[in-house]
Amino acid sequence: MGEAIVITSGKGGVGKTTTTANLGTALALQGKKVCLIDTDIGLRNLDVILGLENRIIYDLIDVLEGRCKVHQALVKDKRFEDMLYLLPAAQTADKNDVNPEQMKELVTELKKDYDFVIIDCPAGIEQGYKNAVVGADHAIVVTTPEISAVRDADRIIGLLELEENIDAPRLIINRIRPHLMKAGEALDVNEITTHLSIDLLGIIADDERVISSSNKGEPIVMDPSNAAALGYRNIARRLLGESVPLMSMEKAPPSLFTKIKAVFTK
Amino acid sequence: MKAQVTHFLKNLVNIKGKNKGLVLYLDDQCAYADLLTELKAKVSDPALDSDTEVTVHLNKRYCTENQIQELSAVVQTNPHLKVVATTSDILTVEESDQMIRERQSETYVGIVRSGQVIKAEGDLVVIGDVNPNGRVEAGGSVYVLGRLKGAAHAGTKGNRDAVIAASWLEATQLKIDDELETMTDELSSLSEQPEMECAYLHTNGTIIIDRLQELRFIRPQISTFKGGS
Repeated sequence: MGEAIVITSGKGGVGKTTTTANLGTALALQGKKVCLIDTDIGLRNLDVILGLENRIIYDLIDVLEGRCKVHQALVKDKRFEDMLYLLPAAQTADKNDVNPEQMKELVTELKKDYDFVIIDCPAGIEQGYKNAVVGADHAIVVTTPEISAVRDADRIIGLLELEENIDAPRLIINRIRPHLMKAGEALDVNEITTHLSIDLLGIIADDERVISSSNKGEPIVMDPSNAAALGYRNIARRLLGESVPLMSMEKAPPSLFTKIKAVFTK
Repeated sequence: MKAQVTHFLKNLVNIKGKNKGLVLYLDDQCAYADLLTELKAKVSDPALDSDTEVTVHLNKRYCTENQIQELSAVVQTNPHLKVVATTSDILTVEESDQMIRERQSETYVGIVRSGQVIKAEGDLVVIGDVNPNGRVEAGGSVYVLGRLKGAAHAGTKGNRDAVIAASWLEATQLKIDDELETMTDELSSLSEQPEMECAYLHTNGTIIIDRLQELRFIRPQISTFKGGS
């Protein structure tokens, strides 16, 4: 029996889908059997980020309405042997075409066959959100170091804490720009975690490569040299129970000038 | 005829002068109908010919809202009399419970997050932060053991003596009774370190923020502690 994790944020555009794709991939790389569910019905894009768009035949609504079996709708990511699957959202329906009971049943069914069922939640706190959280055992809240995103995260944490079957939500702070944080222009990691007062699961550096790799349909986590990828890999290891220290954000290699300066100051 | 005489002997309605007005003490043991008859007779006394404010005291009789209106209407059949208040020595269980609730202090342990509203009929103690867009409301005072960064409303039912106190008072809005204060930059600049502060309603109707230690002089009546050594 695996565990179901919902990835949510309240606010749109903070990186829920990217986080879902990368965490799923990272867990698959660690040898876990993972199923990703896109619950953003009507506005699906987890399939695009994973590069699986062309292979969708059936979707979530087809499964719930009995037009196909679950395994027929699951799209296998061939890059990871038998480890990573996607249950895509329907594009031609909307969020009210699904009810929480159906979702709960589906997630429970999938948990039997997978180590991790990761549910990508749509933005907002309406029907789509309710469908996404109903079957989950754990929740991960994604935010960015912006006040508006933190406000919405606070709201969503409040709602998640009311869900009896979900244990305490954990936090991922996405798109961190170390220079802004250092200059005090953006909220820093400590400020955000004390404000929201939940456990910090990990931090992800802001990196342009995340965007380009998403556009190519290859989750960034597949590139082990990238800082954001490392962040996702660390989070995956923490989910598996390892204790991995938070990585330092000032890992930029010293510039030529600072190297020369160092020689003279010695 | 004889029956009517005995009624007058029992004197179901006693009129007493008090300060500027009259108080009508109504008997609480007789039948309601008898009471009405006698009240009608008493107020139509031609001696009551100057404009007077009247308080109706029901003693230990429980009257419904309709009955109270009926009694007032009877008194006001005399154009010189005006009923200004109705008092009584009894409470319903419901009213009594409500009063107990308003005097109680309720405790909430946890974080009041964005979109959440915590309400109490009496005082409210929050152990944890109140985050922005979170709201705490109390019929009495609000005490926050933590950071108050959202909105707080004390004295929701008109208690103007209620206060709002917090370990860290950085609220977006403060409201006491119906006086609202939005925490503008001006106000927050008064206290650079908003630590251990309280807000109260000044007699001029504005909300004042002061050190928590001043509360014992500003609102000594909040202390309910009796005795001690």
